[in-house]
Amino acid sequence: MNLMQLIINVIYAASIYAVVAYSYYFMYSARKFLNMSHAAIIALGAYLAFEIKKQLAWNIFIVIPFSVAITAIIAITVFLLIFKPLQKRKASSTKMLVASLGIYLVLQNLISLIWLDAPKSLCSWPVKRGHNILDVYITNEQILMIVVSIALLGVLLLFSKKTTIGKSIRAVASDSVLADVSGIDSYAVVLWAFAISSGLGGLAGILIAIDVDMTPTMGMNAFMMGVVTVIIGGVNSILGIALAALLLAITQHFGAWFIGSQWQDAIAFVILVLFLLFKPEGFFGKKVKSATV
Amino acid sequence: MEYLLHILILIGIYVILAESLNLIVGYTGLLSIAHAAFYGIGAYVVALMALKLGSPFVINIICAIIISGLLGGLVGVPSLRIKDHYFIIATFAFQVIAFSILNNWVSFTGGPMGLPGIPQPVIFGWQVSSHLEFLLLVGAFAILVFWLCHRIIKSPFGRVLMAIREDEVFALAAGKNVALYKVAVFVIGSGMAAIAGALYAHYISSIEPISFTVMESIFIISIVIIGGAGSLWGPVVGAVLLVMLPEILRFVGMPSSIAANMRQILYGGLLVAFMMWRPQGLVGKYGFRLEDTKK
Repeated sequence: MNLMQLIINVIYAASIYAVVAYSYYFMYSARKFLNMSHAAIIALGAYLAFEIKKQLAWNIFIVIPFSVAITAIIAITVFLLIFKPLQKRKASSTKMLVASLGIYLVLQNLISLIWLDAPKSLCSWPVKRGHNILDVYITNEQILMIVVSIALLGVLLLFSKKTTIGKSIRAVASDSVLADVSGIDSYAVVLWAFAISSGLGGLAGILIAIDVDMTPTMGMNAFMMGVVTVIIGGVNSILGIALAALLLAITQHFGAWFIGSQWQDAIAFVILVLFLLFKPEGFFGKKVKSATV
Repeated sequence: MEYLLHILILIGIYVILAESLNLIVGYTGLLSIAHAAFYGIGAYVVALMALKLGSPFVINIICAIIISGLLGGLVGVPSLRIKDHYFIIATFAFQVIAFSILNNWVSFTGGPMGLPGIPQPVIFGWQVSSHLEFLLLVGAFAILVFWLCHRIIKSPFGRVLMAIREDEVFALAAGKNVALYKVAVFVIGSGMAAIAGALYAHYISSIEPISFTVMESIFIISIVIIGGAGSLWGPVVGAVLLVMLPEILRFVGMPSSIAANMRQILYGGLLVAFMMWRPQGLVGKYGFRLEDTKK
């Protein structure tokens, strides 16, 4: 394998991590708990796209926004039914996590009951050989993923810096009590953050499913890599996430070159543990107070 | 009859797992998603020693407890620096790395195929072979673990653990070495999980990494939470209930094609329901913290 091919593979892997991490970033900054149900939302996006495409036979570029919207609506319903009441009772982040784990189990198994466990594919078009540019193979689907991830980086940076909702989400993220006092409706903001996150999660699932097949458990692996990326990136920074995705992909691919690709998961989590131990604030994150008494 | 004994043996194994996790989750307030990893480490240490060295069961299980306990201490160490969901993610990382080693180190652990043909244990000349004998063995260990947990909770050591759960800064201010207690509870909990692993390996006689995944960790957490975290009888009630549940579903006549999924949906639904309406579990008094139970 030549070096150019390795670089392209790294960029492609980094794009997947980045898109999933962006999707998790908003809900995580609004409410700091590990929301495992997001893993099922990622898979749900892909399966909804599959079903809509099968039933209505629309063009894939109409199917995508449609299924993203439905994914977001379902996720918001779950939020209103479960997370909001818990939040009102001032549930600890551990309790929220356990509840989200329960939601993940329910959603993932519903998907597997409805669409069965066998892998399904989104692309109905004939599988083409990848383009061969300068001895490097790359498929259309991979180019799409890379383009979307770069475009999302720009759009989300603008969104978070320039729009009112984006700014409010950042305000709630840095200090939700202060945001409340400043007249920001933090419940509405959290709702927006969950909607955006879930929509992006559905999009991530669809993009992954376009390139490789979908299975009901596909979300978990993608989600965990996304979480690793967000933490390494330093939870408060979109640019940090992009860099973290690159770092993760580079280490995984070079590591795989030396000790074999089956160790990629382990490599990612070793990096995560190292960050947690020695630089828990991530690349760009600000140092946080160790304990608020 | 065999079937009933099999269910009872499984309940015994899960009582050991849930009681040991309860020390960490329920009494110290540290949610860990790595418990299946220690369960697996116990099973693999015992299986490898029995298969490759042919050493007796008693020595194997002691080695398993020590190795798993030391690794448990290793997981406890980050808890001193990182909190809440960061710590939970760190335990998740350990779980993934441990599974990855069991699954990928083919020459040593057998890889995805696992280790078949684990011999029946011989304890001081007593060969444990029938279901009834296994039940006696598992039951004895379950009672031992239950008793140990009882002693730990009633001891000054246990009271410090609960103090850490309620208010870590306060425990520090009272002059307690919080770091040492946290690592110690992980060593004890992981060592106990290894006992369950050792018993499981000998009982099933063939182990695969797939038995020790994140989903297994989540199942053990469900037992503790639904039964009642931070109570001595909670994990017992939870283990009986959650191990029996799939059997009940089978008696109700649910087709086996959807039974596995329905079971998980039920576990998931129960977790959500308990978090919303009864965080202290069926027989517990506390949630993850005393104040959690106050509405």
